[in-house]
Amino acid sequence: MSEESNGPNKSSTGPEIDKASDREGPAVVSRRWLLLKAGVALNGLVGLALAVPVVRYLLAPVRKDSSYKSWVSLGDADGFPVGETRLVSFKNPWTQPWDGQTDNVAAYVRREGASQFTVFAINCAHLGCPVRWFPQSQLFMCPCHGGVYYADGSRASGPPERGLFTYDYKIVGEQLQIDAGQMPSLSNSAKLVNISSPAKTSGNDGDCGCRG
Amino acid sequence: MPGMKQSGRRIYDWFEQRLQVEGPIKDAVLHKVPRNTASWWYVFGSAAFTLLMLQIVTGILLALVYVPSAAEAWNSLNILNHQVPLGWFLRAVHAWGSNFMVAVVFIHMAQVFLFGAYKFPRELTWTVGVFLLLMTLGMAFTGQVLRFDQDAYWGLGIGVFILSRVPWMGGGLVHLLLGGPTIAGATLSRFFALHVFVIPGTLLFLALVHVWMVIKLGINEWPMPGRLVRKSTYIAEYNQLTHEDGIPFVPGAFWKDLIFSAAVLAAVGVCAAVFGPAGPGGQPDPSITQTVPKPDFPFLWIYAVLSYLPPSMETPFILIAPILMIAGLLAVPFVASEGEKSWHRRPVAVLALASVAVGWGVFTHLAMNTPWSPHMGAWSGDTLPLEYLREATPLVRQGAVIFQAKQCRNCHSIGGHGGERGPALDAVATRMTPDQMRYKVVTGGGNMPAYGKNLSPPEIEALVSFLETLHPKGEPPAFDASQQAAQSNPAPGGSNTP
Amino acid sequence: MRRGALAFVLPLVLALAGCGRLPGARAEAEPPARPEDVLDFHTLYSTNCQACHGANGHGGPAMELGNPEYQALVDDATLRKWISGGMPGTEMPAFAQSAGGMLTDAQVNAIIAGMRKEWAKSNVFAGAAPPPYAQDQAGDVKRGQQTYQARCASCHEKPSRQQVTSLAYLSLVSDQALRTIIVTGRPDIGQPDWRLEPTPIPGRPPAVYAYLVGPPLSAQDVTDIVTYLGSLRNPAAVSAAPTPIPPRR
Repeated sequence: MSEESNGPNKSSTGPEIDKASDREGPAVVSRRWLLLKAGVALNGLVGLALAVPVVRYLLAPVRKDSSYKSWVSLGDADGFPVGETRLVSFKNPWTQPWDGQTDNVAAYVRREGASQFTVFAINCAHLGCPVRWFPQSQLFMCPCHGGVYYADGSRASGPPERGLFTYDYKIVGEQLQIDAGQMPSLSNSAKLVNISSPAKTSGNDGDCGCRG
Repeated sequence: MPGMKQSGRRIYDWFEQRLQVEGPIKDAVLHKVPRNTASWWYVFGSAAFTLLMLQIVTGILLALVYVPSAAEAWNSLNILNHQVPLGWFLRAVHAWGSNFMVAVVFIHMAQVFLFGAYKFPRELTWTVGVFLLLMTLGMAFTGQVLRFDQDAYWGLGIGVFILSRVPWMGGGLVHLLLGGPTIAGATLSRFFALHVFVIPGTLLFLALVHVWMVIKLGINEWPMPGRLVRKSTYIAEYNQLTHEDGIPFVPGAFWKDLIFSAAVLAAVGVCAAVFGPAGPGGQPDPSITQTVPKPDFPFLWIYAVLSYLPPSMETPFILIAPILMIAGLLAVPFVASEGEKSWHRRPVAVLALASVAVGWGVFTHLAMNTPWSPHMGAWSGDTLPLEYLREATPLVRQGAVIFQAKQCRNCHSIGGHGGERGPALDAVATRMTPDQMRYKVVTGGGNMPAYGKNLSPPEIEALVSFLETLHPKGEPPAFDASQQAAQSNPAPGGSNTP
Repeated sequence: MRRGALAFVLPLVLALAGCGRLPGARAEAEPPARPEDVLDFHTLYSTNCQACHGANGHGGPAMELGNPEYQALVDDATLRKWISGGMPGTEMPAFAQSAGGMLTDAQVNAIIAGMRKEWAKSNVFAGAAPPPYAQDQAGDVKRGQQTYQARCASCHEKPSRQQVTSLAYLSLVSDQALRTIIVTGRPDIGQPDWRLEPTPIPGRPPAVYAYLVGPPLSAQDVTDIVTYLGSLRNPAAVSAAPTPIPPRR
């Protein structure tokens, strides 16, 4: 939109201008047109100079996943009974004062052994709705499109292509910590996991944004 | 009162001398249109514009109270609903106005398509119209976000998951959409900017361009079979038609527009008064898992389509289908810019429109019932019909407890209550033998998870003994004919159990 | 013409001015509560309990909570224990958040208080002293078997009916659950309480149980019967079910 510099012939646009230029003589006309072009070019230049910070401002939220994430404590590791899956909620580490209730994040902690955990995101791997854990049938069920997962997070049925997302975790002192801060989604999780293979990741390799 | 009339005239002249709009307005108002376009079929465009005005006015009124902050938006809506006098009514008018506007825009588009009105020289009018449709849907979606309840939160979550499927740039696009890593304060602020400034501004501008072209190019004449559009002759033919058989737009055609617009506005008002505002639902706290998110009406069909796609199709479909759909709409006037306008001679177009309409209706209807979703509260909230347990033995009763406690009910209905993900089990015993039931429960299959690891043998026995009782009176349960035969004539020296 | 329009618009204006009266008005309603803030007994019961315990406490597959005798026998602490942490040996799941459920302690208390208010009645035992809720003495298997044969078998040993000695059944109920149902009975399905007085079954002629009349079971009898039934319990034996065969396709 600022590229007005090409084609000096473009000046003859309307009959009235032509008439006016006839009256005023070629010399004046060429000077006025030159000044006009200079004006357009100046605006383009200033516009470009202002556009750079605007674009930078607009793209500010686009950052590396790792810069949004940090380790969050889910509380005492011994608060989670072995063999059970519990719903926990924590404050999102990346917040603004006006986030209100939206900075609450929930996750499911499954404790497999003394220091063996799996921390699942509550977001269904299909379209992100909050799955609900049913300890009686040992299933996670999604209320949106009917995705169902087994206790280990692998897909049981429904439209999801993969198992539930998991967070990286570590145990610091007595505290269970996870690497959180980002809404888990297919773009920040490692890869599509084959449906037939159990979507369990080994050890503490979660896939909620391990790209960072 | 001649004096008053005279002074009124003087004031008018004073303004007209300075504004000089009488001429252009007179031209627009009195331009001739073909007589047969003064039809009740041609009122949808103006109704859509009227609704746009209504939305702008009610939107501004709501913005007087609404707080576009993630922490306060939900509360301010509840205050509008419960404390501000008639705040609920304004919310309701805005919500119903939105539903009506989406509906009227779609009807307008269908009518234009059916009447071939997009053909030469009105291709650009159609193209702008496609963008107006997208903007209208954009307003509906961003408006749903501004409601900022659980449906809004998780609906946006679905948007995030759709965007995140874009190869390479998915993550960046998500951050751009949300204004950060999660749905939070920054997200609501930018959706407010979109809903209140960006989209309405563009929408209004494009709508004026659209109307400008309608005035400049003339209203599409009533299609006649056999009257073909040719680029070389159409304009002359149209001008001849308006000259020979034209009437001034005002009042000839405009009175129908006015009456229909008033009727639509009245319908919005009545719906608002009777049905009230939309939500807000539960608070936008993502740690509340007891929620069943559902999008607003215009997006229900997408919600349904997404649940029926096989897993392998999800990403390709989600990414490619919208592009194809929009490209298809944009291509319509360029693929068929000449030729027949009448639906009598355009079977493919009529069929296409009919299939789209039927498909849309079916998917929307499905999404209203969501048969694919487990009913999260069925296991603990839906009772069994008393007569199903009247003759029950203790074991059968215990099987019924397991049927409930293990969430079978969330996907399988009994007595009309429960999930519809799996088949209703009221007559399951007539379809499956106990062994088949056992096998199905243990191994799952199809869309059913395998329960082998989650049920103990006594639990399976009890469950199957309950399921065995589920058959209508007088209809015998299914049996394994080969086993019965083997039992009545035991083979010598052989065992019939594998 | 103008008068007609006025006649059309005026009622609408008046209706709006009298606000709050229109069906769409939300003036009286409360904003939606957070799920953990719901303390209304009927809402809590109908969303969490009634699928197994029956609408209004009767006629469900699990224990009849609406039986006033049950309400009189069980104390608040015990109810709280079962609701919060689940009942071991049965399908009763844990509902308290502390045990992985969805309900807060306040909600559990609201359910208990609501049940008392709805279903508890004074003087349900009419002066008779029922055997205590919890077992308080040792039971004897032999004696229990004799008492069972004498007092229970006439109904419970009928072929294909009411088989409480079924191994699968016994694997799914705890001794406490058996004890509770023997003591309080289940009037909604015709199970008599410890007094073994005939109880009419809804929808069936009452004559069926006419021969039951006899002395009430003593606390020792109840303990013995439960001990006997408990001795039959053997979950490992239930897996002897026929091997599943794939359904034909």
